[in-house]
Amino acid sequence: MIKIKDIEKTYTKGSVPTEVLRGINLLIQRGEYVAIMGTSGTGKSTLMNIIGCLDKPTKGHLELDDVDVYKLNDDALSSLRNKKIGFVFQQFFLLERTTALDNVLLPLIYTDKYPADANHRAKKALASVGLEDRTEYYANELSGGQLQRVAIARALINDPDVILADEPTGNLDSRSTSEILEIFNRLHKEGRTIIVVTHDQAVAKHAQRILELKDGRIAENDTGSKSKN
Amino acid sequence: MIKIVRIARESFRMVKGNRLRAFIMMLGVAVGVASLTMIISVSRGAYEEVMDIVNRQGPDLLQVRPGTDRHTGLPSGSREVVSLIEEDADVILQHVGNIAAVSPVKDRKEIEVKYGDKFTLSRIFGITPVWAQIRNFGPSKGEFISEEDLTFAARVCLIGQTVKKNLFGEADPVGQSIRIKDVPFTVKGELNWKGISSAGRDRDDRIVVPITTYTRRLFRDIHLTQIVITVKDTDEIDATIEDVRNVLREHHNIAPGEPDDFAMRTPQDLIDLAYGASRALINLLTGIAAVSLLVAGIVITNIMLASVSARRSEIGIRRALGARKNDILHQFVMECLIISFMGGLLGIALGFGGSIMLSSMDVSASKITPLALVAAIASCILIALIFGLYPAKKAANQNPVDTLRA
Repeated sequence: MIKIKDIEKTYTKGSVPTEVLRGINLLIQRGEYVAIMGTSGTGKSTLMNIIGCLDKPTKGHLELDDVDVYKLNDDALSSLRNKKIGFVFQQFFLLERTTALDNVLLPLIYTDKYPADANHRAKKALASVGLEDRTEYYANELSGGQLQRVAIARALINDPDVILADEPTGNLDSRSTSEILEIFNRLHKEGRTIIVVTHDQAVAKHAQRILELKDGRIAENDTGSKSKN
Repeated sequence: MIKIVRIARESFRMVKGNRLRAFIMMLGVAVGVASLTMIISVSRGAYEEVMDIVNRQGPDLLQVRPGTDRHTGLPSGSREVVSLIEEDADVILQHVGNIAAVSPVKDRKEIEVKYGDKFTLSRIFGITPVWAQIRNFGPSKGEFISEEDLTFAARVCLIGQTVKKNLFGEADPVGQSIRIKDVPFTVKGELNWKGISSAGRDRDDRIVVPITTYTRRLFRDIHLTQIVITVKDTDEIDATIEDVRNVLREHHNIAPGEPDDFAMRTPQDLIDLAYGASRALINLLTGIAAVSLLVAGIVITNIMLASVSARRSEIGIRRALGARKNDILHQFVMECLIISFMGGLLGIALGFGGSIMLSSMDVSASKITPLALVAAIASCILIALIFGLYPAKKAANQNPVDTLRA
């Protein structure tokens, strides 16, 4: 369960403070599929970074499975990200000159205990996104859709509770977008919590719940098409 | 697999993936390490050469020569300077403690020597029997000059290996008669082989005769070209030098404040002389090594800083995937270490190659030692740590949110 309480975030550029988030309160249950929508600059990526423990709010609290995140030091936060959160970004952020398999193995480098079956797990993760025949392909040899699927496999390797995806289909064509959304649907059915940041209504409609961010506040807390259907 | 090994493997993979960057960084380290390796090899070579000279001459050997070189204070060896006589040798033996042996020496070079129809020019030494022990010039064949030969000014001699080769070829010279300045001498023995001196002189192109014979039958010189002395206790050599000096000054009636009319050469002078030749090269190489290693360090810092900027998203994604700040720090430091170490290996190869080349070109003696290897490896590790730490810290302290921002 993710509990967000009175989160505020203000950036200061020079001497001008800019309030990005202005008191966000949110509860996301385990296994929920949530889409965070909003126009550019409304703070949806900031909110995702805060939920993903990459950024800290100016004010407020975040609890992940009843753990008060801001009581943890930087190393513990890294460990928490490694174990509990899988990230998927619009730009994929795969390492260049690195095979799909090695990219997927990346989170395991930072685990406390390296699994003996690491390679098997990575191959299984790649197979789960339909890339079992691309394990030794380098990033520059893969299409955009395949890159994003490798990124999803990388996010899954540590079996995280939460998948955080920031505009995961932003750089993809419609066919690849469908494939990625299909994977998210499947992961959701498997019981994972999925939080997708998007400005695309078509993407958001796959979620159970759609949060509309406007001027740093949740303007609308709507149930998505899935729950409606 | 423990975490640090996983990170090291990752560092190696990153270095492999950026070969050009790694190569440029390696080159800087290689030049510095090559210079360092050469300095140590040349220094070691010079040291061994000097010690070889000292050992050949004997660490207990003092030489007193007439006159003083105004510039260096070292013996001038000038024939015009006539300050030492045989009596000086006796005075030293009688009045200075810690003396093992003393021999007066007279010599003249390019003296005509004949055997049958063979002819050569050689250096003739007038010496006493203890000279053989002092200069370690024992006979390799036959017998050395005896006290009896000295007393009776016998016309006997020992010849060096070059003289033997010139006059006798492969034949046995012992017992044969040769003519020195047309005076017949019986060859009593052969001097052992000595090779070329540090001054480039052929130490086998010599003939020794009793000093009495030298004076009475060959040259009427009463002045010595040198007195050679060995001391009993080399630890006391400085005090002995001072005693010899005081005794000779007194014997020569030199007033206080007046300069000596003789000069002494000690094993330390030999070391200084021999080191002098290598010092300029060592200084030059030290300068090159210091500048190269500094430049290599600056190159590493610069390229690593540029690399940190270029790899912001990589740093960001690693942090997002669970890397701690220290994991990033370790990865970047290890990348520097790997590159620096490889540069070091290249530098060691270049340095040893250069040392061998200097040696073969007779520019300087050099000796490849484990110390050079250890110093080279230590220096590249130090460079990586000192100059790689700042960029690595910068990488580790990147804010993941900033680095992942589009």
